Amino acid sequence: MSQPIKCSLCEEAATVHLSQVVHGNVTKVHLCETCAQKGGATDPAVFQLADALTTASPAPTLTCPKCGFTDIDFRKRGRLGCPDCWETFGDALGGLLLKVQHEASHVGRAPAGTLPAGQLRRRLNDARFEMEKAITGEDYEAAARLRDEITDLEQQLANS
Amino acid sequence: MSSVEDILAAENELTHLLGAQQAVVLSTRIRLARNLEGMPFPGWAKVPQRKEIADRCVEALDALPKFRRGHVLRMGELGDRDRAVLVERHLVSKELAAGKSGAAVISRDQTCSVMVNEEDHLRIQVVKAGWHLRGTWHIAEQLDDALGGTLKLAFSDRLGYLTACPTNVGTGLRASAMVHLPGLCLAGHMDKVSRALNQDGLAVRGWLGEGTEAAGNVFQISNQQTLGLSEESILKHLGGWIKNVVEQEWNARRKLAQEEGEKFVDRLARSLGVLRSARLLTSSEAMNMLSHLRLACDMGCLPEERRHLVDRLMIEGQPAHVQARAGQELDSDGRDSRRAAVVREALKDFPEVVPPTA
Repeated sequence: MSQPIKCSLCEEAATVHLSQVVHGNVTKVHLCETCAQKGGATDPAVFQLADALTTASPAPTLTCPKCGFTDIDFRKRGRLGCPDCWETFGDALGGLLLKVQHEASHVGRAPAGTLPAGQLRRRLNDARFEMEKAITGEDYEAAARLRDEITDLEQQLANS
Repeated sequence: MSSVEDILAAENELTHLLGAQQAVVLSTRIRLARNLEGMPFPGWAKVPQRKEIADRCVEALDALPKFRRGHVLRMGELGDRDRAVLVERHLVSKELAAGKSGAAVISRDQTCSVMVNEEDHLRIQVVKAGWHLRGTWHIAEQLDDALGGTLKLAFSDRLGYLTACPTNVGTGLRASAMVHLPGLCLAGHMDKVSRALNQDGLAVRGWLGEGTEAAGNVFQISNQQTLGLSEESILKHLGGWIKNVVEQEWNARRKLAQEEGEKFVDRLARSLGVLRSARLLTSSEAMNMLSHLRLACDMGCLPEERRHLVDRLMIEGQPAHVQARAGQELDSDGRDSRRAAVVREALKDFPEVVPPTA
């Protein structure tokens, strides 16, 4: 007995079948109704989706040791697999982060459970940020003061 | 009584509290994305893992004083209409409502809701009626600290709070204001304003968030970047722009009222007339005319103390709310007829629209 064709994005039975012909190469994508609607089957974006699915055949070059998520999975979903993926993919995502974010490193709160280290970290982050700003603004006096503060905070953090 | 019926029946700040409403800004919202250390994100987790995540998060949330006598709702246990009601109230997102393994923990006063197993393990949301950026942030910050005390949250020194999507990593903070901009829309300036906001790192979306239309001239304005900026600077940046947009909106309104004169009042009066006597009202028609009524309340064309009623009708005129109130599934005509009846009843003792004073 033949199995129903499964959706290329989830495990549901596929009811929408798309074929795309580019320079004589035929690629096919099978989607369930939900995924087809989500992608907008009438939308040219679906064909970009088709591209993403069909060109993603080469072997993954990065795999998260914790959850098995690969760079190919990221290309398909645009989301990571687990918090540890950031270790594995962090460097590879650097370019993307710079594109969508303000800077590639965190400035701001840390979990309350990690206090007082969290507080120190927060101040350390702020001080690093301020120092960068001072250097860019050629305010070397402020930068030197902040550098001392950073050394002090780092020392405190190491001892906490 | 199901928990969702309970939510519908309860009077809350957004729909009932007299005096909490303000001109232009309908509500302020803070959202924080958080995840448990060592667990796969919901979109990658297996069903048993998602269940474990939900159980751990719900247990931790349920123990917080903020959620005492609140609601714990598991999406898999709710019917379609109940889930749609929660989406229309902005208590949960469409994505959460679409899955079976999501849950929402909602405070009794409905100002705090935490989505579990949406794109991230935890999405903390705090909403206040009107423009209260600091107060709203303060509540979210306290909730975050309390949760961080019981749950081990995924955090890295370099990248901050780790999230499933690179657009949320760092602070995980999305701060937004729901703004009513009929003046800028009528004057045809909305595209320009939208572009300026986009260029300065703010997103402009419709009434129900991402990918929705701006029914009733209501827009959600929020920060886009979460990494490399402190919470403080994100809030300051948004706050500055909202102040600016509110000013521009008032300028547009005053200019319109002055230039159009009787035509301006006529537009508002006609909307009240239609809403008061129509037998069938579609959802978008109702939203657009209610927008005129809200404008009228802001401008002194209708008494300001009626504004909360207009806000309530905007929320309760949405399809799932209309059906929930009717206690039955209704087809599109049935909904339009029921919506019209609800609106007629609510507006029956509204005074007439008068020329603006504001």
